Amino acid sequence: MNLPPSAQLQLTETGELRHFLSIDGLPKTLLERILDTANSFVVVGNQEVKKVPLLRGKTVVNLFFENSTRTRSTFELAAQRLSADVLNLDINTSATSKGESLLDTLRNLRAMHSDMFVVRHSQSGAAHFIAQQVTPNVAIINAGDGRHAHPTQAMLDMLTIYRHKASFDQLKVAIVGDILHSRVARDQVHALTTLGCQDVRLIGPNTLLPTAAEELGVTTYNDLDKGLEDVDVIIMLRLQTERMDSAFLPSASEYYQAYGLTRQRLCKAKSDAIVMHPGPINRGIEIESEVADGEQSLILNQVGYGIAIRMAVMSMAMSGQMQQRQIMEANQ
Amino acid sequence: MNILIRQARVVDPYQQLDAIMDVHIADGNIQAIGAELNIPDAQVIEAKGQILCPNFTDLLSYLRQPGNSQKGTIASETRAAASAGFGTLLPSPDTQPASDSTAVLELVQDRAEQAGYCQVLPIAALTQGLQSTHLSNMLGLNKAGAVAFSNAGYDITDNTVLLRCYEYAATYKLKIFVQARDAALSHGHMHDGILATQLGLNGIPVIAETLAISRHLQMMQHTGVSCHFQQLSSAAGVEMLRQAKAQGLAISADVDLAHLCNTEQQVQGYNSQYHVQPPLRHESDRQALIAGLADGTIDAIVSAHQPHEAAAKQAPFADTATGMAIYDIFMPLLLSLAADTNLSLLQLTAALSKQPRSLLGLDENGLTVGAAANLCLIDPNLSWQLTSTSQQSRGANQCLQNSTLMGRVMLTLQHGKVTWQAHD
Repeated sequence: MNLPPSAQLQLTETGELRHFLSIDGLPKTLLERILDTANSFVVVGNQEVKKVPLLRGKTVVNLFFENSTRTRSTFELAAQRLSADVLNLDINTSATSKGESLLDTLRNLRAMHSDMFVVRHSQSGAAHFIAQQVTPNVAIINAGDGRHAHPTQAMLDMLTIYRHKASFDQLKVAIVGDILHSRVARDQVHALTTLGCQDVRLIGPNTLLPTAAEELGVTTYNDLDKGLEDVDVIIMLRLQTERMDSAFLPSASEYYQAYGLTRQRLCKAKSDAIVMHPGPINRGIEIESEVADGEQSLILNQVGYGIAIRMAVMSMAMSGQMQQRQIMEANQ
Repeated sequence: MNILIRQARVVDPYQQLDAIMDVHIADGNIQAIGAELNIPDAQVIEAKGQILCPNFTDLLSYLRQPGNSQKGTIASETRAAASAGFGTLLPSPDTQPASDSTAVLELVQDRAEQAGYCQVLPIAALTQGLQSTHLSNMLGLNKAGAVAFSNAGYDITDNTVLLRCYEYAATYKLKIFVQARDAALSHGHMHDGILATQLGLNGIPVIAETLAISRHLQMMQHTGVSCHFQQLSSAAGVEMLRQAKAQGLAISADVDLAHLCNTEQQVQGYNSQYHVQPPLRHESDRQALIAGLADGTIDAIVSAHQPHEAAAKQAPFADTATGMAIYDIFMPLLLSLAADTNLSLLQLTAALSKQPRSLLGLDENGLTVGAAANLCLIDPNLSWQLTSTSQQSRGANQCLQNSTLMGRVMLTLQHGKVTWQAHD
């Protein structure tokens, strides 16, 4: 199959999902299947018995090299709802500072015969590294690597849009804030452009816009008011406070003046525009409380969709990985 | 030693010669060169289809000793260099401890002499311990064999220290080798472009190089020191040096072979074998480096050979060590450059022999009667596999491991002595 190198690693020879590392290069049909599968899982959360047996007998290890309560709990819940056995491992960087390399840590884990690793790591490419070099037979789900990718977060945002808006090709979508450091924004851009969105806008000051961003097929704006004009979807990004210390921004208050989403600014967008945020939100820095809690906000809906997306991706990657193992065994 | 190399394509940049010739070598020197020589007692090497040229001088190489023999040793890496056609190496002072004392310089030269593969002319540390605070004992180091002074990859950020280094070096007409990189702007891991954006890696912008070049050029003009710029990576950097040379400044420059052959695209998929400093840049930068070499802005090609143990490259990209072990693939890459660009073999071999030697003030005569037999014989059509057993360098960071490569050095001679011979 003729796929970009970023996608080859993630798919089986027949194009099934095998690892979920990044949206970059994945075909539209696959993203649509993820959305459809996740959509069917949304109802599972509303049932009396919340479990389906798709991962029964499988072991999922949550490997978090970087702290995260939210993402980890939604992955844990998703795995449990798929009936998998779940092991949570918080490997803070002190283990590696004791001299053990990531490679050694993973070699130890491999001996546990797990079926899936959900990986979060502070370095871009960590999930690729694990999928490529360490455990090619274990399905890897990227739960965030450095500033590179966070594909399940991006897909849950797509599911939110999918459930609340018309088809992607008619939409104008604005992503606002610290694009440079955002692994979510990169995958959102790949997902939106792949799903057919014609008008994706990245809005922020030059210090927080990545180099050559336009080459990703988006338009960049420095002026929030201009960028929000007539949009259907507004995705606000979280601003890490340490950006002020490292000279990306002068102060949180100046940032809020220029890029904070207020009710007044929301009026620039279409009247039925939806507002999203990956959370946790900084009220009064990225977004006015009235907007975050207002009726156009879907911030809380996103959390529930997150579980459904993770269930979809985990079940699809597991079946792809099983298929790949069978192909490899047959070839031997 | 009494060899007759027959029917070789002699490529000699000293004489601008590219012709089929016989060459007779005995007693360490070239005895005769001509269309058809008849030397009854000589051992005959049939070299039809092969290239015979001066052996190479490498202005930047990392031999790892002292301090990092798990990555490579002076013996292993000088042998690897000989297998790539090199006869003379200038090892980087970036060792542990740094080459800032006569003891280290003597150790390096002694080990190299014992090994017997290459002549080693050390570059000494410009500041003590490469710490960028105190001047090294330049006069003493010069007497102990240092041919140039460099702070390796460490930017001297304090302008007072840099100014004094250059003033002192200028006093004694000592040569400075500089890797022009602004330290603060070089904290990234690859070229600052769309791919860095996509991969989420910190970019190193071109201005990290150009800002540093302009600073060193001004320091140079102010002090009158003679500077050689190493490992240019950008089109803008080449243009700055082109203009500086046009103004008549006493500067020279080199580029490493990896930058002539590769771009940032190699990093695709987080391939840590291409994690190098300065970073591989855009195709337009690569073309500008080739053009710079062609028009003489860039004088020399270096290997920047940096062997590592396997573990140094096995981590998420940003956590991996920088540098490439390149000696084992040097000749195949060089020949591919000759095939894919307008650069002729004469130009390429000049950038590896005559030009680097002349900027060091080392006179040579190329392939002329009476000259020392510092030669290498290359089979451009030999296809071979690079494997862990066929590789010569100790470095495990081979970016073309298990690939089939085209072209190989068959024989390297240093003062008539065989320092490398390929076995079938």
